[in-house]
Amino acid sequence: MFKEGSVAEELKAANPPAKAVDTVTFILDGQSITVPKGTSVLEASLNNNIHVPSFCWHPKLKSVGACRMCYVEIEKMPKLMVSCSTEATNGMVVHTNSDLVKRGRKAVLEFTLINHPLDCPTCDKGGECDLQDLTFAHGYDDSRFEFQKYRFTEEGKQSTFDDLRIGPEIVLNRNRCILCFKCVRANKEAFGEYDLGAYERGNITEINAAPGEQVDNPFSGNLVEICPVGALTNTDWRYKIRVWLTEQVPSICPFTSSGSNILFYKERQQNQIYRVTSRRNDLIDDGWLADVTRYGYQIATSEDRLQSPLIKKNGKQAPATWDEAVTLVAKKFKEIAENKGGVCLGALAAPSLDNAALHSLNKLMRHNFQSNNVDFRGEYRMLPKIGDTVYAALASRPFKIADIDTSDVVVVFGSDLHKEHPNEYLRIRKAKQFNRSRVFFINPLATKAADIADAELIYAVGGDELALNALALAGIELGLSDDGKLKGKLGTANFAETALASGIDAGELKLVAKAIAEGRKITFICGELITRSSARENISAAVCNLNKLFGIENKGQIGVLARHANSAGAARLGLLPELSDNLKSELNNLWGKTPEAPGLSTDAMFSVMKKGELNGYLIVGANPMMLYPDRQFVQDAFKALDFLVVADLYETETTALADVVFPLSSWAEYNGHYVNLEGRVQFAEAAIKPKFESKPAHEIVSLIASKFGRPLFGSASEMQAEITNLLKSATVTAWPNDYLQVTISPESRPLDYPVPLMVGDDPHHVGHLTEKSISLSNFVSEAYMEMSPDLAAKHKISSGDQIRVESETGKIIVKAKISSVLDSDTVFIPRNFSATPVNCLLSRKRRTDWVRLSKVQG
Amino acid sequence: MFYSPVITNAKEVTASERLHLFKFVEDPQQQKLAIYESHGGYTAWRKVLSSMTFEQVALEVKNSGLRGRGGAGFPTGMKWTFVPKDSPKPRYLVCNADESEPGTCKDRVLLERDPHAVIEGMAIAAFAIKSHLMICYIRGEFGYSIKVMEAAMHDAYSKGHLGKNIYGSGYDLEMLVFTGGGAYICGEETAMISSLEGEKGLARIRPPFPAIEGLYACPTIVNNVETLAAVPHIINRGAAWYRTMGTEKSTGTKIFSLSGHVKRPGNYEVELGFSLRKLLYDPAYGNGILNDKKLKGVIPGGASTPFLTPEMIDVGLDYESLASIGSMLGSGGVIVFDEDTCIIWTIYKLIHFFRHESCGKCTPCREGTGWLEQIVSNILHGNGKPGDLEKIESLCENILGRTICPLGDAAVMPIQSALKHWRDEWQYAIDNHKPMVTTNFAFV
Amino acid sequence: MILTAESVAAMKQKAAEYPQRKSAILPCLTIACQQVGHLNESIYREIAKVIHIPYVEIAEAATFYTLFPKKPVGKHLIQVCHNISCALVGADNMIGYLEEKLNIKKGETTPDNKFTLISVECLGSCSTAPMVQVNDEFYENLTRVKVDQVIEELKTKN
Repeated sequence: MFKEGSVAEELKAANPPAKAVDTVTFILDGQSITVPKGTSVLEASLNNNIHVPSFCWHPKLKSVGACRMCYVEIEKMPKLMVSCSTEATNGMVVHTNSDLVKRGRKAVLEFTLINHPLDCPTCDKGGECDLQDLTFAHGYDDSRFEFQKYRFTEEGKQSTFDDLRIGPEIVLNRNRCILCFKCVRANKEAFGEYDLGAYERGNITEINAAPGEQVDNPFSGNLVEICPVGALTNTDWRYKIRVWLTEQVPSICPFTSSGSNILFYKERQQNQIYRVTSRRNDLIDDGWLADVTRYGYQIATSEDRLQSPLIKKNGKQAPATWDEAVTLVAKKFKEIAENKGGVCLGALAAPSLDNAALHSLNKLMRHNFQSNNVDFRGEYRMLPKIGDTVYAALASRPFKIADIDTSDVVVVFGSDLHKEHPNEYLRIRKAKQFNRSRVFFINPLATKAADIADAELIYAVGGDELALNALALAGIELGLSDDGKLKGKLGTANFAETALASGIDAGELKLVAKAIAEGRKITFICGELITRSSARENISAAVCNLNKLFGIENKGQIGVLARHANSAGAARLGLLPELSDNLKSELNNLWGKTPEAPGLSTDAMFSVMKKGELNGYLIVGANPMMLYPDRQFVQDAFKALDFLVVADLYETETTALADVVFPLSSWAEYNGHYVNLEGRVQFAEAAIKPKFESKPAHEIVSLIASKFGRPLFGSASEMQAEITNLLKSATVTAWPNDYLQVTISPESRPLDYPVPLMVGDDPHHVGHLTEKSISLSNFVSEAYMEMSPDLAAKHKISSGDQIRVESETGKIIVKAKISSVLDSDTVFIPRNFSATPVNCLLSRKRRTDWVRLSKVQG
Repeated sequence: MFYSPVITNAKEVTASERLHLFKFVEDPQQQKLAIYESHGGYTAWRKVLSSMTFEQVALEVKNSGLRGRGGAGFPTGMKWTFVPKDSPKPRYLVCNADESEPGTCKDRVLLERDPHAVIEGMAIAAFAIKSHLMICYIRGEFGYSIKVMEAAMHDAYSKGHLGKNIYGSGYDLEMLVFTGGGAYICGEETAMISSLEGEKGLARIRPPFPAIEGLYACPTIVNNVETLAAVPHIINRGAAWYRTMGTEKSTGTKIFSLSGHVKRPGNYEVELGFSLRKLLYDPAYGNGILNDKKLKGVIPGGASTPFLTPEMIDVGLDYESLASIGSMLGSGGVIVFDEDTCIIWTIYKLIHFFRHESCGKCTPCREGTGWLEQIVSNILHGNGKPGDLEKIESLCENILGRTICPLGDAAVMPIQSALKHWRDEWQYAIDNHKPMVTTNFAFV
Repeated sequence: MILTAESVAAMKQKAAEYPQRKSAILPCLTIACQQVGHLNESIYREIAKVIHIPYVEIAEAATFYTLFPKKPVGKHLIQVCHNISCALVGADNMIGYLEEKLNIKKGETTPDNKFTLISVECLGSCSTAPMVQVNDEFYENLTRVKVDQVIEELKTKN
């Protein structure tokens, strides 16, 4: 399904050299090798299947030459050279396995082992330990060290066995550490986190968490993965199983839209997953996984999963058989379809479902039930009725993650990267370090990711188009030509006035405009702010104007990044009420006639539900009660339904209202394909058999269709073929021809509600399911309200205080958390915790949500 | 009279035409800017700014044959030319005043008693590499030196020798005094750069070399105090004059710090090539072994250099001569010990020092110095075992040339020389479970 | 807040002097140690806030260098060099003499909190050995008599 080796080729194609790359040719173990100039001898060796050992070298970190394992002998150089930091030059003659090198390696291993405890029998790393492997391959059989090994101690502890819990998921054994420094280097260089340090010096150097703090950043799981020995271990793996008793299954992350490549470690007999590690793909993830990706698999293995279908009888849900449940659903939906028509049925698909699930559901609705009321967007506020053509243009653009590496200017607009696109944050950070890229952020609030920014432009809340217009006007000020056509479309205000109104300093705007104008390769990322805004067409128009003015796509890439694991797939497969002509005709070709009139969006469906005009609704994998704005509105809508069917992994707020509940299999339990934000199709293999009686979504949909009388597809391969063709024929929506009008219509804030509210994912969680992961809950298990120190001082709030947060639509009580990043009045509350129904504060109609705060006394 | 009551040969230097570094170090007023100027101070700096290009300055110093006086002995002028001419990045000149090599106490004299000479030398060096910011890194223990240097720096600013548009030449030069935190390793140039950047003083692999990518990834030159103090003299009197002193390959003068079992320990400026025997025994210098005991051994260039036996002291103190007999000139810290000194004891003192000061980044130095210290300590306390000497030699081989920075080499070279020249003493200690000589130096 | 306004102002000035703020870490540690006499976690946190550098970098640098005591020390921190040049002329016995005189062992502080005695590596006074450093000052060419004088002087010193 996926080809090894093609990654390397694609990587080369993705980063073509600007000019002919200089190469060097040298002799490596008797062979003549040609490599690009600047390649280290170590990398040249590894790329040619010569296994030069190392501890401290890592492909994505700067080489430090600390461990000295990678010695090679180079003719004409008197000493053994460390190949990780020796650049290959023309005519070099390198021996990687001469007698001198062998003796050198033995010596290094002997030194490394003198203070290392021989814990192998009880150490988790056994079987995948670099020190074990390299000692066996290159070391002495015995050690000449006869003294007491150095031991780290802990106050009050008698034993010298060290196991410090330095983070929610990390246990540190300082004695095993061989001081390769990879964890500290990765944490600081690659992730930009400062919760781990190396203290003291010499042979009492100690690596430990920052004093008094925990290692709990959103990338902390990677530290355990790169540790070459058992110094850092994960609590979710610790003492549970030996690595050689597990099998590895390749899969894809279902939580982030980059589609990080992962490996499941499963035990076949127990049908259990023990952990997830990276399956390094340099085009997507560089080998780093966000913690959500790493620990999220526990949502599949939890014993809390729905065990069987449920049917509501006399107001109470009770277990039922699959046959009972499917028969009932098919019967009810058929009734509604035949009596009232397909327009009275609707469906909501989670955008993290696989292609087969989405496509099957689409066919069930459009073909079997003749209803165009299908949507995958169950988290975004009221959407305009007519299809968002401008937004569609922005959302369907080609994008290559690897192109960030070579961009010399990166602009991030409207995104809090740690909470939406953590992998892209790491990529941009790498570009800044290794490529000296200039990075700019344009956001309505300060974000953590902007610690790498050359400039962070913060604009007034609600003024998204203003900010972009100001940037465009700055470009025109600098001399870019708009053929006289853009300025007029941006209103009457001039640059200085627009800048002032936007809240951004005019000088900074000019700085960014200049950078984009002069940049040779640009990456311009638009984030979830556009996607979830009620004004997204207008904001998209402003972005399109920028693209035209600066010529961004001509020299790089620009677009709104897909937000979920398969929202790119859902859009391409047509899980939308209104389709492009091209897509409509494709589906008609495949399935025969589908209804002419466009369907209703999720929000419109909810509105007509309340009026009794939509009676049957099928939700697969989504939880709108928890995530859709205005909980009361959603509840009223669902209560008015005749028949609600929900399929999910767990019982949720939404399943509680359903007439029939289906237990849904997670992505780990069946084979599936997912389209990432680049439009790349990736395959995730099933690791375990479905838990309890759960079934994959496409199977559930198939069963309903079969009971209905008309099976969906002749065979699985027929379905696959349809999907493949649809994806192949997916087109990029064209840019608008001209500059677009961008109307500035400021939204007044409601009286008495002075504080802007931002709602999103906590960096350790995604959506409504990750709460069920024990490890992720160890990091964050309850909601909080993140606020700036100034705002807290104004309200006399300290961290930990219970705060009543009220909006026009509802109120909640949540704990305060004083932020070290936020510096304006905006507060942030994560939406991932069912105990705190934050969506009841959100409005369906406003573009900005406003709240007021009061301390809960006592 | 002075803060540090060290003996110097300043009288001899004052009377000499050639010796120059110590000319005014016995004048308590030399610290003051006005007195320094009256002694000809800042003449070289003026000359450089008014009539020389940076290439000419570097060439002059290169032609003088001046070599790094901190220990490495690398030709100074040549090092300056390694800075890429066309790099748009700012350049930095760092003065290495982190004098921590055991046996060495010469830079302190210059810092405390002739600070402006150091400042002037730094300025000229900064000009030669087109640097506009120079930093004097002084070890934190040198409280008085720091005070003096800061005061001198402020005086230099106030009189226009530093700052913007110096002497109307259009050249800007700023200076900072940076105080170390207590680490010998920070005397190594890459570790010093790490320390200046605010990190732990960990050594860094080379390449990249500091002259290309050093402080803040910009071209940086690190020079020793003594090296820089010689620069104004070379500018004033010319490279040819400098070459009249010393030997052909080791030109100029050097300050040697004499310590240990001599009657007159102190700092002596002599021409390179000066006889070691004369330095130890001449009444104007060491004046012989303390209490007229017999000489047992000499460490010629600070704790990192191989030991010399009494048969070897008829050697000229210059880079080539010492190298040819298997040792090094190093920093010029001459440590003398008599017949009542146990060799194992001296080696223990040194290896304990190196283990304590190892930065810990690379495996051979970090683990190796610790292991060696334990073996040597064992032997010293009578618990040595047969095979220990072979083990020591093997470990030394596994550390030499295998580390990021020269500290590893510094740690093992004295041990190797001690084993070579006094092997029977080591063997005795192992066979008889006690050292041959019991070391107990009285404190009177 | 442990740091005084003066210390904070001095630290901010240091941070502004260097091309990169992070270089001010070591100078700030020196300023803090001069004010307080020793360093600890709370002080690292305060410094981190003053110069806007991540706290862990301050903690790492502080633990790497030897001039910053991590626990409170006596009014006069007596640091005796025990390296080779000093040891050759009796430094080891001088340490014994000081231990006797102050009635404490190496590494300890006198009960009246006036003196802490530690031994350290080469202090760059090899030709004037044996010697000690007390806080910021060097006392060189020591003999028993001179040591007695120095201790007396320090006992009455403010």
